[in-house]
Amino acid sequence: MKTLTILIGLCLVFVFVWERVDMVRVGYHIERLKRDKTVLERQRDELRVKVSALSASGRIAKVATEKLGMSLPQQGQVIVVQTKPSGVQPTDVSPAEVKVAKNDLPNGRY
Amino acid sequence: MSGSFSRGRRYVLLLVLLCGFGVVLFRLVNLQVLQAAELSVKADRQHQKTVSLEGARGTIVDRHGKILAMNVEVPSVFGVPTTLESPAKTARQLSPVLHVRIDELERKLRQDRSFVWLARKLDPEQGRRLDRLSLDGVGVVMEGRRFYPKGPLLAHVLGFAGMDGEGLEGVERRYESSLHGEKRMMVLQRDAFGRTVFPKGLMERTPTSGHSLTLTIDEVIQYIAERELEDAVTRAQAKSGVMIVLDPKTGALLALAISPRFDPNVVSALSPDRWRNKALTDAYEPGSTMKAMMAAAAIEERVVKPNTMVFGEHGHMTVANTVIHDHEKLGWISFAEVIQKSSNIGAAKTGMALGEQRLYRYLQAFGFGQRTEIDLPGEGAGLVKNPKDWGRRSVASISMGQEIGVTPIQMASAVGALANGGVLMKPYVVSEIRDADGHIIKQVPPQAKRRVISPETAHSVTKILEGVVTDGTGVKAAIPGFRVAGKTGTAQKIDPRTGTYSNSRFVSSFAGYVPADSPRLAMIVVIDEPQGEAWGGTVAAPVFSRVGEQVLGYLGVSSNEPVTLAMALRKS
Repeated sequence: MKTLTILIGLCLVFVFVWERVDMVRVGYHIERLKRDKTVLERQRDELRVKVSALSASGRIAKVATEKLGMSLPQQGQVIVVQTKPSGVQPTDVSPAEVKVAKNDLPNGRY
Repeated sequence: MSGSFSRGRRYVLLLVLLCGFGVVLFRLVNLQVLQAAELSVKADRQHQKTVSLEGARGTIVDRHGKILAMNVEVPSVFGVPTTLESPAKTARQLSPVLHVRIDELERKLRQDRSFVWLARKLDPEQGRRLDRLSLDGVGVVMEGRRFYPKGPLLAHVLGFAGMDGEGLEGVERRYESSLHGEKRMMVLQRDAFGRTVFPKGLMERTPTSGHSLTLTIDEVIQYIAERELEDAVTRAQAKSGVMIVLDPKTGALLALAISPRFDPNVVSALSPDRWRNKALTDAYEPGSTMKAMMAAAAIEERVVKPNTMVFGEHGHMTVANTVIHDHEKLGWISFAEVIQKSSNIGAAKTGMALGEQRLYRYLQAFGFGQRTEIDLPGEGAGLVKNPKDWGRRSVASISMGQEIGVTPIQMASAVGALANGGVLMKPYVVSEIRDADGHIIKQVPPQAKRRVISPETAHSVTKILEGVVTDGTGVKAAIPGFRVAGKTGTAQKIDPRTGTYSNSRFVSSFAGYVPADSPRLAMIVVIDEPQGEAWGGTVAAPVFSRVGEQVLGYLGVSSNEPVTLAMALRKS
């Protein structure tokens, strides 16, 4: 009986110590994960800023005109028309709106 | 004998042990009881670290969720001069990374201090290069830095945040209380190496980020407005320019462009004049654009009808011993033609028939002389004198847009009232506030301030203003396929040297809306001091036309005119 009590006592001490040690170990693990999370969040934010900068209308217009040789349509060249949806016409064109570039440059060039 | 010796040794040993235990016991009592309070404080100081944490500043996005301003954690570099062996060597290594001169860094590192900032809020890439150097006596802390990824776009509306993250101008300042993150002190447990184990108290939560703002601004419309305005200001060699695009039904600002622009990412080198939001702060004499409001007042009060005939006095009329001129010698013309041809004499006569009290009442009703209460800081009220302070010519002058100071936002708001059938809407720029988890915590509905004129009067005025664009001074504001209503303005500025109207300095403007029958856009263009030809119809009206056409196309607003087109249908 005495031996059993001592054994139970030792077990309780062991469990208590093990629990404390494990708490510290988990604490370190949590901190490491928090650091990883912070780094990833920082990278995500950096990338969001980059995406936003790269998708700026001014930059897209610059790339289109300077690198791709595109130009802004002249006045009157873009016409927005409303098309009514029709059940009989097989089409994959959106029924809502269609933008049409009007060809009014000399020699049929766009 | 040997037994007694052995017993003696045992006693000695016992005594030594007792003494040893006694010392330990004494030390224990001393530490745990006598010095307990003092040592406990010391232990806490070594094991616990109290840090001040602040949640990230909220993001600002446009109406489609495109990011206009956001915080990113970036490295700030500090030095510990007292621990450095060779400040000169450290400065040489740091200089190419921090882009700071070697002598300046060395001067800082030679100071007799234990902490000195070397560079704050660097680019993330600089931080990574610094990490690779791993220098002794140099440390890095992460701080939130405000980024404006679109550069100068919308800078005058967004404003900017200071080095410590507080909003200093624009939306950043107006919504500081919503944008800034929660500040809180947090107690952390440290181990023997100074590493954080976990916060004291597992229920401790990290500070929450600031709220995010959704603007009414559309990034694409803003870009179009800025590009066209910048182009017009450059071509006219003007001092500055302002353009406002708003939704007349709601008062929501779609774009607010000011030229010259500035980059909110680098404001330290600029003067405050550069970042002032002139659309809200600077009052100008509107000139003939005011005739649109005067016409609305006169028709509403049944003083005139669009077809009422007015004599143009062949271009000269004397009022209170001063002569009012027209730019052409007009005879009998209809009131609609008075506005279409922008006759000063016709406007003055109509204003005088309206009378000072009624004119003043309508000026107030249209919002002149008072703040629009737009949710941006620094708004001015313009200048509308009380009738008791008016001179003998004031009614005539105000009717043609002189002796009155208005801000561009007031004029845009008033034009919006003409466009939407006569209701003055409160202009606004923030439509939603969301918390850090994206939940909407406040939605800003459109607010009508008051009805200024009846829908019938608004309709009559619209017809007249359409004539300005089809047959009058504003033909260059026309947009192919759309009915445009608007009014030109060319106002002389006061010469500060003589105190009289200058013959060389003008404010050219155009204010209008499109499509006239169901307006989607109310816009105002103001060009300050254009060189050469300065007519509003020549300088400002083309900007209205170019922006209007592109924005209507972008919004998918179709033309009223029939279009013949061939469309190839594609089968999948």
